[in-house]
Amino acid sequence: MSKEKPFPEYRRKLGPGWWLANSHFTQYMIREWTSFFVAVFSLIYIYELSLFASGARADALNLLKNPGVIAFNVLALLFTLYHAFTWFYLIGKVQPIKMGKTTSKPWQALLVNIVLLLIVSFAVIEILVLR
Amino acid sequence: MSQDIATIRVTRYRPEKDGKPYFQDYKVPYRKDMVVLDALNYIKANLDGTLTYRWSCRMGVCGSCGANVDGVPKLTCASFLHEFKGRTIKVEPLTHFPVIKDLVVNMDDFMHKLVEIKPWIIREKESPPEEGEYRQSAEELERYDQFSSCINCMLCYSACPVYGLNEKFLGPAATALAYRYIEDSRDQGKAVRFPIVHEIEGVWECTLVGECSVVCPKGVDPMLAIQKTKILGATNALKSLVMPRGGGK
Ligand code: SF4
Ligand code: FES
Repeated sequence: MSKEKPFPEYRRKLGPGWWLANSHFTQYMIREWTSFFVAVFSLIYIYELSLFASGARADALNLLKNPGVIAFNVLALLFTLYHAFTWFYLIGKVQPIKMGKTTSKPWQALLVNIVLLLIVSFAVIEILVLR
Repeated sequence: MSQDIATIRVTRYRPEKDGKPYFQDYKVPYRKDMVVLDALNYIKANLDGTLTYRWSCRMGVCGSCGANVDGVPKLTCASFLHEFKGRTIKVEPLTHFPVIKDLVVNMDDFMHKLVEIKPWIIREKESPPEEGEYRQSAEELERYDQFSSCINCMLCYSACPVYGLNEKFLGPAATALAYRYIEDSRDQGKAVRFPIVHEIEGVWECTLVGECSVVCPKGVDPMLAIQKTKILGATNALKSLVMPRGGGK
């Protein structure tokens, strides 16, 4: 028997708009986009630090107060929190903890991680910023 | 019982004639207990004998009737027509797979992946039959039970954009099945399966879209299997780093 396929098969390619096809894909893409915001935030942050380091304190403070930068930071924070929460939930799904006969639910992991995040953030602000 | 009329919009692709697929509409009378597969069978028997699609058991067991129904990968034998009342029901071949004819896709890639992960119990040394079966506790069974429910319907692949972008990706069902054996207390084939699931196009290609687990008709959670396999691989690598002599077994 010949190995050759008698007729061509039709191959479909994933179009650039695939992530709009369903809401789960869109949510996934939003999560992926956080990396863009984190990257830009880091670049701005490094630039601010370099201004401080080179003694241009006034410029650094002006940049910090810039409404555009503040708006961007708020947006980046929202994206990062969204990313963090989806991951916290997934941690609970992937690694449920067994306690006797019951097993932890993903939302419990989400809750515990949010509390931990608040405690750590508060500690960092207390120790590094307000001290 | 009263009958309504459903409009079924089916993808047609006749490779000997058509350069690319197109849609064809059929009007199908239906009752409340009829599913999309019944509509396809009605079309084939009464309206157009050239329509081609796969099916066998009609009860969600064989996994052969998968198609994209209204844009979502589903078993056509488990999708009731009345759920789409008033809407044209689009039935398309499973996404990401090459189309052979109408709703029939080429499954070769998936079949190769299934064989690749060696879906059977591997023993270093088989014990003689007189010694009886390899026994297992209820807890040990629970560790992999859900992953053994897979019916190889490929809906999860159709739902996975990572597979859509990179055909080499081992993908959801094959990994779920690999994990099913990795977690089986009777199996001793970790050393054989680990390199397969952890190669570049193995589990690490997964970016956690999670849609595979949403569409699975058998309650299998392939996304979970993939993440658990990642964790096993990472702990294994760590162990062999800390204890180079046999730590990462
Ligand atoms: S994991 Fe679920 S969706 Fe994927 S092939 Fe198996 S039964 Fe089908
Ligand atoms: S016909 Fe067997 S699963 Fe649908």
